Amino acid sequence: MTDPLETRIDAWMQEFARFDERPRALPDPSMLWVRAKLMQSVVIADRAARPVTNAQIGSYLVVAAAWAALLMWKWQALVTWVRGFTPAHIVLGATGVESAASLSLTFLGLLIVLGSLTVLLAFHTILAEE
Amino acid sequence: MNADAAVLFAPLAVRPAAFRRTPKRPMDEGRFEAFYRNTAGSLWSYVYRMTGNSATADDLLQKTFYRFLRAQPEIASDDHLRHYLFKTATNLVFDHFREAKRGRELVEPPPEFRPDRNELRQDMTRAFAELKPRERALLWLAHVEGCSHDEIADALGLKSKSVRVLLFRARKRLGDVLTRRGLAPEAPHD
Repeated sequence: MTDPLETRIDAWMQEFARFDERPRALPDPSMLWVRAKLMQSVVIADRAARPVTNAQIGSYLVVAAAWAALLMWKWQALVTWVRGFTPAHIVLGATGVESAASLSLTFLGLLIVLGSLTVLLAFHTILAEE
Repeated sequence: MNADAAVLFAPLAVRPAAFRRTPKRPMDEGRFEAFYRNTAGSLWSYVYRMTGNSATADDLLQKTFYRFLRAQPEIASDDHLRHYLFKTATNLVFDHFREAKRGRELVEPPPEFRPDRNELRQDMTRAFAELKPRERALLWLAHVEGCSHDEIADALGLKSKSVRVLLFRARKRLGDVLTRRGLAPEAPHD
């Protein structure tokens, strides 16, 4: 170290570094070690759960699309069926003046299957969250 | 995933060659404790002098060690590990400055001054805080940590040849600041 500026700055830096400005003790190394290991396990668990999460999101989309398709398929029949719940329509329907809307057994079957799948998915989501 | 974990365990950009060397001995808790006790104090001082805030220094110190443990360094030598630790800390400090800038906070928060500290210490701290972050890092790593130009270049992401020039400029700037503040150090007598 021959440069006078370097020598002076070095001396100044050494003196400056000697001041201990730490207001509190450093964290315990064992605490850091345990926390680091916990964080690692969080990352590993997250990585392991990722395929399940993706499958869950996929099944939400499939079920939502199935509901949309089902409702679109029988929309007119459903609207007529719902309107038929007024007292006047019930009376007319009973006298045979107005024919009942056609809701096939296939539709009802699909309705039951989709409903069951939705309930299962909801239970799975709730249990997974817990 | 926990947000902290996501930040702390983000993939590291560079994995130093020191960790790929044999013999491969993963760090166990006892070894980590010994290493921590040897390095944490000086690392805290470095981060504190860079940021000027003790709470930030505490936070960045912990993040540095979490990243260090995430990297699962294999023991080549304590010097290599120490160098890697300072490099990680430097990256985190500069990330902190960038985040502070984005959040429109002070890029360089004023150093904390405590009424019971002596005036010289405060003046020295203020003088050092006048430098740019990279100048502070250069001077601290070179003069306090005794890092070589290659090590400083690696830690700060600079070319090794540039370090010499940048270090000279940083010294000159600190010299100017000290002269202006009337803190210019006397040349040591033999």
